[in-house]
Amino acid sequence: MSFLALLLIVVSLVTFVSAQLILKRAMGFSAANSMRNAYFVLRVLTGVVLMTISFFLTLGLLQRFDLSYLYPFQGLSVIFITVLAAVVLKEKLSARLAIGALLITAGIVLVSMS
Amino acid sequence: MQNRPSGFCNPWLQLGLSIACVFVSELLLKRGVTEVAEPESALSWTGLNGLASPLVWWAILLIVASFISWLYVLRYVPLSVAYPLSRVVDVLVPLGCWFFLSERISALRWCGIALVVTGLALVAKPIAKMEERL
Repeated sequence: MSFLALLLIVVSLVTFVSAQLILKRAMGFSAANSMRNAYFVLRVLTGVVLMTISFFLTLGLLQRFDLSYLYPFQGLSVIFITVLAAVVLKEKLSARLAIGALLITAGIVLVSMS
Repeated sequence: MQNRPSGFCNPWLQLGLSIACVFVSELLLKRGVTEVAEPESALSWTGLNGLASPLVWWAILLIVASFISWLYVLRYVPLSVAYPLSRVVDVLVPLGCWFFLSERISALRWCGIALVVTGLALVAKPIAKMEERL
């Protein structure tokens, strides 16, 4: 795999993970407040833009690699999102949840190695 | 997760719908971009040439649907629970690739799939208990 491919995989991962955190924050906010305000709209839009970037980068990569090989890289996002949800969004992270997320990631890495 | 709506608005049902849409869209995307692939063109790294395929447009429709369900799920379910569960697609997609796209799955890859399933079961079990009590 070329350096460019690796870089694009990383960028698509980072945009995806940040989009999820931003969207969760927006939706958590909307559960308690109205949706018609700048705070909510701005965050949802940012999330959508980031997801779109991630989406098109993935399309570019899909033309060069098998889906079953490439797709699981996104699985690394399980670890990132679970940990960042605990750190940034202050969600409770039980030992069970942490081990579950680790196993999922380990499995996904195995899939992408093979 | 109090005041959780039931029926079609149940967040867990919506999570399932969102996962199903993602699963189908991934297979459509792979098939779609393969049809119009131009590996020599530098522009195709952006993926934009994929838009020439109708299958890619169907996939985008499904992705929008899954995105709406997903936003709804995020209203009720913590991200650290919903996201690992949504990765059940990491099992479904390789199985779908094997079944529908005739990609090969090695022994190691099957082991990886088994690990993912174990992890998912760990994440999902406390939720199943919690739901029983409600």
